[in-house]
Amino acid sequence: MDYVQQRVAQEAAKDGGASSGFFTPLNLILLAVVFYTTFSFLKPKTPLAIPKEEPAVVFRTFTPRTLLPYNGENNQPVYLAVRGRVFDVTRGRNFYGPGGPYANFAGRDASRGLAKGSFDEDMLTKDLDGPLDTLADLTRDELEAMAGWEERFQEKYLVVGRLVAVGDEDKEETKE
Amino acid sequence: MGFFDNLLLSIDEGITGLFAQWNVYTSIIFTLFAGIITWQISTRQEPDTHPFLLARQAQGSPVRQPGESPVYRSQAAPHGMPLNAGLNVKDPGASKWARGRDGDLRDIWRQAIAGVQEEGPNKGTKGRILTVEGVEHVVEHSLDDLTRQINLIGQHILNQGGNRVAIYLPNSVELIATLFACAFYNLSPIILPFDQPTDAIISMLRRSAADTVVTAPGSFPFDVVVKSYPSLRQLVWVVDEGSKHMDWNEVPQGTGGSVNVSTWQDIIGEAPITAGKDLPPLENQSEAVDVTIFWQNKSGETEEMVRFTASNLTAAVASQLFTVPTVKRIGPSDLFLPADSLANTHTLALTLGALYSNASVAFNSAAPQAPNLTVATTGIAPTVVVATPAALLKTHEETAKTFSGTVAKDLHWLQTRSLKDGIFPESGFLTNYYQSAFRPTFGTEPGKLRIVLVAERIGADTPKLSSSVLSDLRLYTGARVMYALTAAKVAGAVAQTGYYDYRVFDNEKKACSHFGPPTTSVEVLLRDKDGFRNSDELSQGEIIVTGPSVAGKRAALGVVGYIRDDNTLAYA
Repeated sequence: MDYVQQRVAQEAAKDGGASSGFFTPLNLILLAVVFYTTFSFLKPKTPLAIPKEEPAVVFRTFTPRTLLPYNGENNQPVYLAVRGRVFDVTRGRNFYGPGGPYANFAGRDASRGLAKGSFDEDMLTKDLDGPLDTLADLTRDELEAMAGWEERFQEKYLVVGRLVAVGDEDKEETKE
Repeated sequence: MGFFDNLLLSIDEGITGLFAQWNVYTSIIFTLFAGIITWQISTRQEPDTHPFLLARQAQGSPVRQPGESPVYRSQAAPHGMPLNAGLNVKDPGASKWARGRDGDLRDIWRQAIAGVQEEGPNKGTKGRILTVEGVEHVVEHSLDDLTRQINLIGQHILNQGGNRVAIYLPNSVELIATLFACAFYNLSPIILPFDQPTDAIISMLRRSAADTVVTAPGSFPFDVVVKSYPSLRQLVWVVDEGSKHMDWNEVPQGTGGSVNVSTWQDIIGEAPITAGKDLPPLENQSEAVDVTIFWQNKSGETEEMVRFTASNLTAAVASQLFTVPTVKRIGPSDLFLPADSLANTHTLALTLGALYSNASVAFNSAAPQAPNLTVATTGIAPTVVVATPAALLKTHEETAKTFSGTVAKDLHWLQTRSLKDGIFPESGFLTNYYQSAFRPTFGTEPGKLRIVLVAERIGADTPKLSSSVLSDLRLYTGARVMYALTAAKVAGAVAQTGYYDYRVFDNEKKACSHFGPPTTSVEVLLRDKDGFRNSDELSQGEIIVTGPSVAGKRAALGVVGYIRDDNTLAYA
């Protein structure tokens, strides 16, 4: 308590009229606070920037040979073709990627396999430089099964290109 | 004493010393500070729309073709969904949940005379149709009367063997009535831009193979047309009140012997009073007719003839109705004024949309040529106006001159800042003062105007509006200003800025604002052209538009554009 009494006495002894001007340090500090607050209120908000979208995939024309690398190995995307349309099935990597049950289809023309419901190696077209599988020998049921798969793919995955036989790359796309 | 005691003592002394300086000025400053904080807290407002919605306004497709940009669509019409194609017209007696028809022009007039169908306080309310003549004279037309005119004019033209009907009229009730008459009586309407030189009129008639013309005396060079365009079979004069007594049916000697001339007023007046009261029935109605328009390019170039199907037009009307948010949509309490030519499909689609929404519509034949917004809105108090870019630019220029004082400038700056933060200043002490002291009056009642629509027309050399001009205009008019990109082959608009988009950008290309996202009835892509190449980073090139409101489903617009970071379309 001694200290308090001492200080009170000290302050009382001071001359009370010492600070009657405008530019006292206290006023300057307060003014600075006022200006800063006003400035920060008036400063336009920085417009919201959201990250740019993923760039769109460019539609490509594949041949069986150029499609081959897209089998999901070495961090490649997983593509497969059904009746000339190339689907990006990377999101279904667990099924179509390496080690998945459908891994044989990755980077290949999967039409025949999907139609026959078989995941075997012999469903794929062996000759990568030959003509595409015409699927002419498929039965009605098999074609229907394939159409069902195609429909599901269209709902779930993106069409990122078309598949043509080697030598047909420059031909115009046949519109359906 | 230890170090800390000394320190505490000096702090104590310092603070006491500082506050010992408290004086009357300090109190004033402190009150000011408290006032500013209170003001800020009490007037704090959320932006009108979420900033994310402005930061990305359109959706790009995940796959793009080589040499092209991704396909962009409005967020309201996402990929994988059908584009907005029609008005979803529910026929009487149809199931409430069944999908409606796309509709055509006939459904728009049926809706206009039926009144609001939705349950609610407005059920049954109909819009009014007005004509502004001169400065103050406003005439109201009864809807039943207009239905009768539509029927009688349609029947008359049909009975006289008309088929392709050219409409050469200024913005007027008769223009719209003839359009509906053609729709109901299976005639092909051709809308010609008004106030054209004689050889342009003849060339347009020839190219569109018109056999009938509905026009006004004084503006249509009858003698010359009859001589140089022998295919003309029929002519209907729309005579104004003042010259009704003259015999307009008389064909000048030696000319136009084969042309059947009559006047609008005679056709209506000479029919029995009970004739033409009911529209042709909805059941088994014929296919909707195509509408031909002429797009005016910059002066000196020939007009581009475009034939729109009825579904092109309804898709355009539907997408235009969609651009105004549901809570703010145009309704029976609105007065709509087309102050741009109805030969522009943007104006036409909006006007048809207003009729379909049971809003009141006012026609002023002088409005499209009005030098500024004040003149265009004379005599009435519109809430929604379609204005020409020239009139808006003039209005901006004239009003900006009156903002020369410091108070006006500062206040305008403050209001602009509010807009930039996404808040439209509508109330509050400062806003009220701004409105009463500085805002010019448009129309007969101040403060009524709430939406101004304006369109850039590709190839027509319309003056361009920058986003800062648009922002100023929002404050000067107190209305939301929406800027659209329009093209000959696209009914309505290609793209249109959002209702809540008040952002201002510096360094805009060509000093022209962006045009917002594509409307809900089109999708837009950009194709490589000249030096403009598409890449993963940049979408730019010639604007290509596809969708139900595009004549021929797909059109290349011939101008280059680019997609900005917020996915809005702008000129490149």
